[in-house]
Amino acid sequence: MKKIVMKFGGSSVANGEKIRHVANLITDNRTEDCGIVTTVSALEGVTNQLIQIAKEAKNGKRDFISKFTNELLERHLTVAKVAIKNKQTREETEQVLKERIGELEIILKGIGYVNELSPKSMDNVIAYGEKLSAPIISGALNDKGVKSTHLTGGEVGIVTDNNYGEAGLLMQVTKYQVRRRLEPLLKEGHSPVVTGFIAATQNGETTTLGRGGSDYTATILGASLEADEVWIWTDVDGLMTADPKIVSSAKTITEMSFQEATELTIFGAKAMHPRALEPARKEGIPVRIRSVFNPDNQGTLITKEKKVRHEDGVKAVTLVKNVAVITVSGAGMVGAPGTAAKVFEVLGKENINILMISQSVSESNISLVIQRNLLERAVNTLEIALLGRDFIREVVSEDDVCVVAVLGAGMKGMPGVASRIFSAVAKESINVRMIAQGSSELNVSFVVKEKNGANTVRAIHKEFKLNEK
Amino acid sequence: MVGWGVVGQSFAQIIAQRKKELAKKYGFRPRIVAIVDKKGAAINPKGLDIEEMLTLKKDKGTVAASSKYGCPDMTALEAIESVEAEAIVEVTPTNIETAEPGLSYIKTAFKTGKHVVTTNKGPLALALPALTELADYNNVCLRFSGTVGAGTPILEFAKNCLKGDKIVSVRGILNGTTNYILTEMDEKHITFDKALKAAQNLGYAEAEPSMDVEGHDAAAKLVIMANWIMNKKVTIENVKIRGIRDVSAQDIADASEKGCTIKLIGSIEESLKVEPTQISKHDPLAVDGALNAVTFVSQSAGEQTIIGLGAGGVETASAVLRDLLDIKQTIANSMIK
Repeated sequence: MKKIVMKFGGSSVANGEKIRHVANLITDNRTEDCGIVTTVSALEGVTNQLIQIAKEAKNGKRDFISKFTNELLERHLTVAKVAIKNKQTREETEQVLKERIGELEIILKGIGYVNELSPKSMDNVIAYGEKLSAPIISGALNDKGVKSTHLTGGEVGIVTDNNYGEAGLLMQVTKYQVRRRLEPLLKEGHSPVVTGFIAATQNGETTTLGRGGSDYTATILGASLEADEVWIWTDVDGLMTADPKIVSSAKTITEMSFQEATELTIFGAKAMHPRALEPARKEGIPVRIRSVFNPDNQGTLITKEKKVRHEDGVKAVTLVKNVAVITVSGAGMVGAPGTAAKVFEVLGKENINILMISQSVSESNISLVIQRNLLERAVNTLEIALLGRDFIREVVSEDDVCVVAVLGAGMKGMPGVASRIFSAVAKESINVRMIAQGSSELNVSFVVKEKNGANTVRAIHKEFKLNEK
Repeated sequence: MVGWGVVGQSFAQIIAQRKKELAKKYGFRPRIVAIVDKKGAAINPKGLDIEEMLTLKKDKGTVAASSKYGCPDMTALEAIESVEAEAIVEVTPTNIETAEPGLSYIKTAFKTGKHVVTTNKGPLALALPALTELADYNNVCLRFSGTVGAGTPILEFAKNCLKGDKIVSVRGILNGTTNYILTEMDEKHITFDKALKAAQNLGYAEAEPSMDVEGHDAAAKLVIMANWIMNKKVTIENVKIRGIRDVSAQDIADASEKGCTIKLIGSIEESLKVEPTQISKHDPLAVDGALNAVTFVSQSAGEQTIIGLGAGGVETASAVLRDLLDIKQTIANSMIK
């Protein structure tokens, strides 16, 4: 039996009509020989509301809680009314929604009375986003005559450590449990709906998966079931050769490797968090990213194989905005081991993530790219910690810059790619401020002035004829 | 002790008889603080008297009959959760279909921070990658050397004696019952059914022999070896299994003419397989009777074959002791560096 795991995000299940559309997409692809497991996010906006109300409850504002839960119930009942036509099915779903919102109200009031919001309590609260959406999608499937049950991440067997808020997965235990839970359901012709984003510890306490969220749940389920494919339904046609807002002729990339996809998602394509790709990559389960608005398009298929064709050298070009460059320089840095370590250590302690690094062999300066909103803090920290010592003369920053990243596994071992990239940029009279290429040769990143960012992307897109692929 | 059958009792007898020696030689002074059998438990935090427990089982059928320490209604799960102990020795019978109840016993022991020694192949065959992960997460040890080769230290040989070398493949006879049957068929020119009867009469084969003759027992051992020795995350579902029921007297006669014989061979290479295989009578694996034999092919050290008895209560009990000593040493090392 073929098995496909599908994931629908919050915007795909924002209202009743959209949920009916989702139910159609599931039933259209479901056959006797193809079982489908679905995982869903909370209705659009609900998770943020839950975080907000939990924080308010902690500050002792208990009066709002009942009002909030009433509104939350109203919204879900309205959605269910549109999504589920059959009266009996709808009433069953409504019953579940009422019970769960009742629980949520008690938890929120508890937080309000003790004025305490531990990461564990927070996970308990935000889990309700998915615990309320999953029954509605499951109900919509039942409404269409497809047998469906809804399960929480814990019920389906996803087990994590107790690092609440960003729990670490126990993949082998999860795999054992998920198979035993879901395979019999699929054999009986069920189409289960699993809450995305949430899991449980070995003792059954609710946790959340943090970064990667429901996408992560989808690949965990896919890897556990050794599914044929995992489909991430989103609002774009897949991963693109460039941001279509910058390059109007940008194309969907039909196929790419996990390695390339990881590079691409790190560099701004917001389709999927790299962490969410891990379970699928390890088990070699193909992941397809496709659009709910355009189900005829097959989207982007991410697979294990690196099908490198040389003319494919470059696959995509992306622009990372809102960054800044810091350059630390001083003759004392030359031949002084440990200088770079001191710079990184100081920034690391301040929780400042470094996106890109370059140092010339002369060692007299190091340039770093960081997020722009952290620039002042970074400069201050570096100056306080390092200026006035022998090896550093000055710390200079630029905040009107952006990073352009050129990606593709085919670039590896292919001479002339860098030359073509920089010639294309030079033809536009654009100055390159800083360059980095890892020895993986999967990507070349460089910094240009922000006002030149879009032109740079267009020039490279054109040079490598990405619109023709 | 969860399970008070032949293996459990043999183990208790060994540690009672060799009390002084174990303390002197290994610094090991084990106390059995709880015993659970099918009808209840006996618990004494100071250590149960082993002679008394053996007598109770023989005369009254359960350790729960102890007037002072008996808990007739206590289940194994309750005992594992509530009794304070360093380790659980889980010696309940193998269930190859669901792995229960052994699987729940082991998981509960981990969750309550107890090390586990088991001789039960069911949980390992079905869920060894998951159990290894859960043990690591809870910072406890899982040992099971009695499951493969019983007293013959097959797992330790591969893991410790071949340390640093890379084992590239494993082939072996992992089930004594089927080897006895195949040997009888070869030597006495009889059919499978007759040889099975003979094995049953001698107590080598069970009345319900499918676990052995269908190859499931050998497959379970193969899974354990693949995980423990070669770090493959596999379960019994990944093994291609064919038993010996359809091996005919003619097949064996044909093999014999070529100087060969047919054995039930389990192998780990790219994939895992258990199937009747023709091998030369001069192959070191061509052992007779109820013996087990395993050949390890390693990258630098070449081929080694280890041969020994694969079953028996006392032999398995000695493996349990070996595992407990290993755990004791591991804990001691982690406490004092």
